Amino acid sequence: MAGRELPRSAHRDDEPGAGLVLEAPHKFRVHTRAYNDAAIFRAEMARIFEKVWVFVAHTSELPSAGDFKTSYIGLQPVIVTRGEHGDISVLVNRCMHRGAVVCREMQGNARQFECPYHGWVYGNDGKLLSLTHGREKGGYSEHFDQPEGLFKVPRVESFRGLIFASFNPDVMPLESFLGRTKTLLERRFNASPTGEIVFRSKPFVARYRGNWKFQSENIVDDYHFVFTHGAFIDLQAKYGDSTGNFGLHPGGSAAEMRKARYRGNVWGCDQGHGILDAPSAAVDSFLSGPFADHYRSVRDRHGADEFAWIVGRGIASIFPNLGTIHQQIRTWRPIAPDLTEVAIYPYELKGAPDSLNAGMLRAQERFYSPSGYGAPDDVEMFASNQQGLDGRAVDWLILERGVDTDERQPNGDYHGQPSSEACQRSFWRQWQHLMSER
Amino acid sequence: MPTTKSPRPTLTQQAAEAFLTMEAELLDERRLEEWLKLFTPDGLYWIPLDDGLPAEHSVSMVRDDALRREERVFHLLHTRFPAQSPSSRTLHMVANVRVIEGADAGMVTLRSNQVVHEVRAGDYRQLGLGERHTIVAKVEHVLRLESGEPRIALKKVLLLDRDLPQGNLTFLL
Repeated sequence: MAGRELPRSAHRDDEPGAGLVLEAPHKFRVHTRAYNDAAIFRAEMARIFEKVWVFVAHTSELPSAGDFKTSYIGLQPVIVTRGEHGDISVLVNRCMHRGAVVCREMQGNARQFECPYHGWVYGNDGKLLSLTHGREKGGYSEHFDQPEGLFKVPRVESFRGLIFASFNPDVMPLESFLGRTKTLLERRFNASPTGEIVFRSKPFVARYRGNWKFQSENIVDDYHFVFTHGAFIDLQAKYGDSTGNFGLHPGGSAAEMRKARYRGNVWGCDQGHGILDAPSAAVDSFLSGPFADHYRSVRDRHGADEFAWIVGRGIASIFPNLGTIHQQIRTWRPIAPDLTEVAIYPYELKGAPDSLNAGMLRAQERFYSPSGYGAPDDVEMFASNQQGLDGRAVDWLILERGVDTDERQPNGDYHGQPSSEACQRSFWRQWQHLMSER
Repeated sequence: MPTTKSPRPTLTQQAAEAFLTMEAELLDERRLEEWLKLFTPDGLYWIPLDDGLPAEHSVSMVRDDALRREERVFHLLHTRFPAQSPSSRTLHMVANVRVIEGADAGMVTLRSNQVVHEVRAGDYRQLGLGERHTIVAKVEHVLRLESGEPRIALKKVLLLDRDLPQGNLTFLL
């Protein structure tokens, strides 16, 4: 029986992740408790979400001075603001006085945030501007250690419009962290003539009764597609592009779709990211199709080789909770060990024809909507996974596809074969590293 | 109940309510091939995500022309997929029906408030199953009268909670 010869996990509170990821020759397994233990979940919030870069907003959501958007880093509520001089701040959405949130809106424009509880006022850079009734007899001491303002998340950097923040003052530069996914993001965004994307549509937001890491694993899991999404393959075989697929899922028959998925590169990156990518094998269809002018200008700008990558396959899971696939940015927010919220932002390519951007929206609502033919099946599986893990008599989950064919690169990335679980293994290596650091 | 003051209403209050309850019954009994026939060939079944942006710049929950409706019904009736395994049972409640005469002859708009209750079959003790969902919406039907028979040119379902996270909406509203 598989797993019988494996040890029970050796758990220690000071190294909460120790013993939960088992890597041995020809083996790679993850312990059940990594997905469903409340103590592990709490440790993840501190050891992962407060230690690495976390995506909080896109610059197109905050185009003007005073614009803000609320977001989360793990369980911590933050406000992302654009100040008078265009500078971005990420502030913990918590009044320094007694803890009330100072912003109850998702998005808007404000010069200042006033706490409704006792009226403390903060600038949109977080600075405490006024403290009410401070000088009264029963007011604050002349020795009062007055806070400077809202807690400012110490590190904020952006890459091609994606704004990330980190509670870790010593976190590595964002571009080093992104590693190989940097090239992938550049290629996705270079499908725009200006190289820019715009968040315009509201996102699809779904909640599921399962652990957040199922989504990190799944967005780069080619193995599940023909099973979980078997019905979608039937629809593609019957309707092809006639119902607005817009070329998102190439291949007419189940066999062709499987072939399309089992082609190209699988990368597991040393910072925990995963990538599925391949240059397009049908470049001419873009250059002679209905958007030929647009695609030709992209090709002329970047060259024929790079163009094949730009219009090719490019899917990433960026550690811990960001992803991209098709024309979307996706982020997933942990709420509890068995509760996660996924937000899918279909973006527009700035400067691309309106009908191209609109076509991508129609294609994405067909698959990713809560009424769509793909995403609801994924989140159904995540709840089903979580349920099954209550069968804790079984210790380990198996992530061993392609374990013998992974090729480790000098920089710590792994190149895997199509349909392997190289992405997931790199995610878990980084997870274990962060969770067991002393 | 007050009815329209038009001397010859295109559709009486009673006929409007009968049409909407008949549609609800087809949906709840999964008589979806019959439901398809209620639409005009150029009809649209639309569940917006954002009522403030044109569809060219916003995804919708559902934006189905005739072929997409056919595909959706085929998906529900003839394929097997996790989000409907086990399947949903729904019950539509139709209320506050108003008949609004269209500017064009032969067109009439019905506004109603609808509450759709949904449960999944299967092992209710499992995560993701055993939940009672209540979906509340303002519904607009733009009807075209074709040889006296009302046909749906637009069914727009504006969810009250469209700004909130959604659960599984892989059934028809």
